[in-house]
Amino acid sequence: MRARVLGYGKAFWVAGWACLASTVWAESAVVITRPGLVPEARLNPADTAWMLTATALVLLMTLPGLALFYAGMVRRKNVINTMASVLAVAALVSLLWLGLGYSLAFTPGTPWLGTLARAGFAGMDYVKDGAQVAVSHLAPQVPESVFAMFQLTFAVITPALIVGALVERMRFSALLWFAGLWSLLVYAPVAHWAWEPGGWMAQLGTLDFAGGTVVHINAGAAGLVCAYVLGPRQGYGREPFEPYSLALTMVGTGLLWVGWFGFNAGSALAADGRAGLAMLVTHLAACAGALTWMLGEWVRRRRPSLLGLCSGVVAGLVAITPASGYVTPASAVLIGAVAGLACYWGATGLKRLLRADDSLDVFGVHGIGGLVGCLMTGLLANPAVGGAKGQLVVQALGAVAVLGYSLVMTWVVLGLTRVLVGLRVDVASEQGGLDVAQHREHLGA
Amino acid sequence: MLASEKLAIAAHLHVLLRRKAGRVTDTEWMAINADYAAEMVRVARSAAQEGAHADLAEWADKLEQAWNPRPAAAVSAREQALARVGLRAAAPASPPDPEAPRYIGGLR
Repeated sequence: MRARVLGYGKAFWVAGWACLASTVWAESAVVITRPGLVPEARLNPADTAWMLTATALVLLMTLPGLALFYAGMVRRKNVINTMASVLAVAALVSLLWLGLGYSLAFTPGTPWLGTLARAGFAGMDYVKDGAQVAVSHLAPQVPESVFAMFQLTFAVITPALIVGALVERMRFSALLWFAGLWSLLVYAPVAHWAWEPGGWMAQLGTLDFAGGTVVHINAGAAGLVCAYVLGPRQGYGREPFEPYSLALTMVGTGLLWVGWFGFNAGSALAADGRAGLAMLVTHLAACAGALTWMLGEWVRRRRPSLLGLCSGVVAGLVAITPASGYVTPASAVLIGAVAGLACYWGATGLKRLLRADDSLDVFGVHGIGGLVGCLMTGLLANPAVGGAKGQLVVQALGAVAVLGYSLVMTWVVLGLTRVLVGLRVDVASEQGGLDVAQHREHLGA
Repeated sequence: MLASEKLAIAAHLHVLLRRKAGRVTDTEWMAINADYAAEMVRVARSAAQEGAHADLAEWADKLEQAWNPRPAAAVSAREQALARVGLRAAAPASPPDPEAPRYIGGLR
């Protein structure tokens, strides 16, 4: 994060130089420490254009990338429910984020939480007549509306990832309560810890370029708790749960892969060389993850599977996420390769040890991949790339803190949800499928 | 044969019967009740004959074999010869059987 802040500083100077050509030097030299209005001429058009693009790419990861990825892996009778879950979570969390979450996460406050200064859609101002625009202190060269929207896409995908652990047995209403509460009580504080310069993890020097800890360890831990609290699906471990269509999963994987370029390269918050390198290392890690998962499966099961390849891609992408602004291409290949094997174990051997029906292996892929990425960032971060040297102990501390907080708070949020609406559908609804039971819809012939 | 292996074969047959004969069976019961398993073997063979489903017949054989392991006399001459010279016929490798049914207790 420290290097990420340095990245913002660099972007700020880029904005400053652009400003010099069109406005007064003295104005551009003012350091912004909290959100506020600035002359529009101080924005960097290239950075703004890239951030708009990256935002669209990251939203594409959820809608329809993740929806397809998950829908392909559930049974036919639960495909619509799975897609509806991802879509509804995206819509709900978007409103909650701009209404409250963004302010709690990205305004200066305590090391633990921001303030309400940007709550209720406040501060996204654009005043055409005076050529004034609101900017965040974290990205003063782009409009705050763009920065908040970019961060929104991260806030959306994190609870949407958890859907994979609880599909095929959770009430739809319970999911909405859970996702809304979790977004505000778990995601927003953790994002503040790691990404707001005053957050305790940022102060400590924990490196998380694009969300290995905030998004993936957080979602993975939450998924594991959901799997334990909800309990296994009817017939789990006795009957084969055949995936509806691995073709959909493959299409979803492709969309996630492309969208991840926005996720990681967009986290540079600038259209610069660091963003370019982040995109390159993202691609390399995905490829390495796919190949090592494939090899692992080939050796263990004697055949490589399409689902294994797709899972390896995601494993590599997850693991490079925290490291993408800090490592060289060679390190990225190593991170992806280790993640492919580690997540294969996470989704098979570890899953059997944990005895949790984590339906689509959210913990095995995102939790384990996030941990691998977080720790390897501590080992491989190159100061020449990101301006920061990795510290393994600091990285481990950040990972354990987020893991622990997410485990406990997810359990609390699920408890609240259980009291409000109950968690599971009844046995008959589960056996008949949630598409009909929860939505009165079913797939065509 | 391990109970889990028997269950895996029963699960595979369950899927095939549902897909190819429209017959829904109880996987778990098939793996623990010999009479029910025998009846399902009969049903599977009958359906295999009617619909020319070779794989259904093959998995019915596997379930029958799981319940009634081959007697020593039925072991092939080649296997007996290998055993005599201290070699074993190709034993099941340590990796999971690639023909075992998938998606039981996990997707990957």
